[in-house]
Amino acid sequence: MNEQAPKTTEFEPNILAFCCNWCSYAGADLAGVSRFQYPPTVRILRVMCSSRVEPAFILKALKEGTDGVLIAGCHIGDCHYIDGNKNAEVRINNTKKALAKLGLDKRLRLEWISASEGLRFSEVIRDFTEEIKKLGQNPVKEVK
Amino acid sequence: MRRVSKTSPRSSIYNSKVYGLPTKDIWTCLTCGLCPQECPQQVDFLSFIKEEREGGQPLDVAHLGVFTELAELSSKLNGNIKEKTTDSKYGYFPGCVDSLGLFLHDVKTDFGEITTSSLKLLDKLGIKPRVLQMKCCGHDVLWQGKKDVFDRLKDYNIEYLKESGIDTLITSCAECYRTFSKDYELGIKVIHISELLDKLGLKINAEVTYHDPCRLGRHMGVYDAPRKALTSNGAVLKEMEHSKDKALCCGVSSFMNCNEQTKALRIARMDEAQATGAKTLITTCSKCLAHFNCLKSEKDAVKKYDFNVVDLTVFLARQLEAGK
Repeated sequence: MNEQAPKTTEFEPNILAFCCNWCSYAGADLAGVSRFQYPPTVRILRVMCSSRVEPAFILKALKEGTDGVLIAGCHIGDCHYIDGNKNAEVRINNTKKALAKLGLDKRLRLEWISASEGLRFSEVIRDFTEEIKKLGQNPVKEVK
Repeated sequence: MRRVSKTSPRSSIYNSKVYGLPTKDIWTCLTCGLCPQECPQQVDFLSFIKEEREGGQPLDVAHLGVFTELAELSSKLNGNIKEKTTDSKYGYFPGCVDSLGLFLHDVKTDFGEITTSSLKLLDKLGIKPRVLQMKCCGHDVLWQGKKDVFDRLKDYNIEYLKESGIDTLITSCAECYRTFSKDYELGIKVIHISELLDKLGLKINAEVTYHDPCRLGRHMGVYDAPRKALTSNGAVLKEMEHSKDKALCCGVSSFMNCNEQTKALRIARMDEAQATGAKTLITTCSKCLAHFNCLKSEKDAVKKYDFNVVDLTVFLARQLEAGK
């Protein structure tokens, strides 16, 4: 996808997506198989459950200069581990509150995407990319 | 006292960068400050540990280093030194209670209550402080060997304090108090809130026991102020077997070394508190509070403790509310 994209000087965000193995990763797979287009701004990391994503991972990603972090899991009630995504919701919301003090809360997003929602996956990526583009680059400073 | 770890100050000095033998020993030290106090040669072991750790990789950081990451992230941001309209000469810094409350939600402690209580008590004393929105004081990253992160936080905070124009900085956290007093060169007065609380004039009818946090006690030598804050307000203080400069450590400091050895220390301390028969264990450090309450709220705990662990300010503010 990267090779075909026209070369522009426009800001291209770097988004890290944690996708749960059972729903969202399969959803991303379906988006690819069905050839739903979405911007090449996202790097997908597969985790077994959305609740595997520790706040420390998110903070570390932002610290290293990632422009946005997306956590995608199964819909509430559909979790492969029964209530993993409920725990994830609590955690991510708490992390959001902590990030709000630093003004970075809009760079973190939690979405529920099931295995059959390939189209939705591409829409979420498109929407999040637009939002990050509006926010601009991650304000963390380079340090020597 | 049972020995729970093989760490010895002598071996960690002999096996250090000084002698070209860097080992992991320096990372198991809890920096509680008991060795330098007992040392007949007056070796400044704490400074040795602090400098020896610089630039190293911590061994065992608790909670996957979420607090370290948060401090590092905020140290890399610009921050906003906003001017507020209050021109109070007192500044109050709540510390990291917000992030403690957010990331330690399974400890079942309302950390934010420390801030609201402190402000209530200061209000009662007629002090209207300016609440400072500084970055983390950098205590944890400093003791984890991340001097570069600490320096960035320190530079920002010093700038912030200069802009704010306060002349007295009040903290309710023992770690902030130590860091602002000893590791910053501020040039303004730094006081721990317990030094103000003896004039509240409450009439408390309760038996309590007090745990000396290492940062307030042995590091800074403040033993009597929190005790006076309790007794002058009517509380009956029952001392534990080890207290004041002999106080046992709560087990964990700077979010490092949360393991079975330090858990044994925590249990030893909680047992001493249980033995006094008091219904409330009071401390002045939010980390000690978190560690004791973590042990208390463990689901499969072997021992059950039937006393509350609360911060000094929370205890006094609750009594103030009850007395109204």
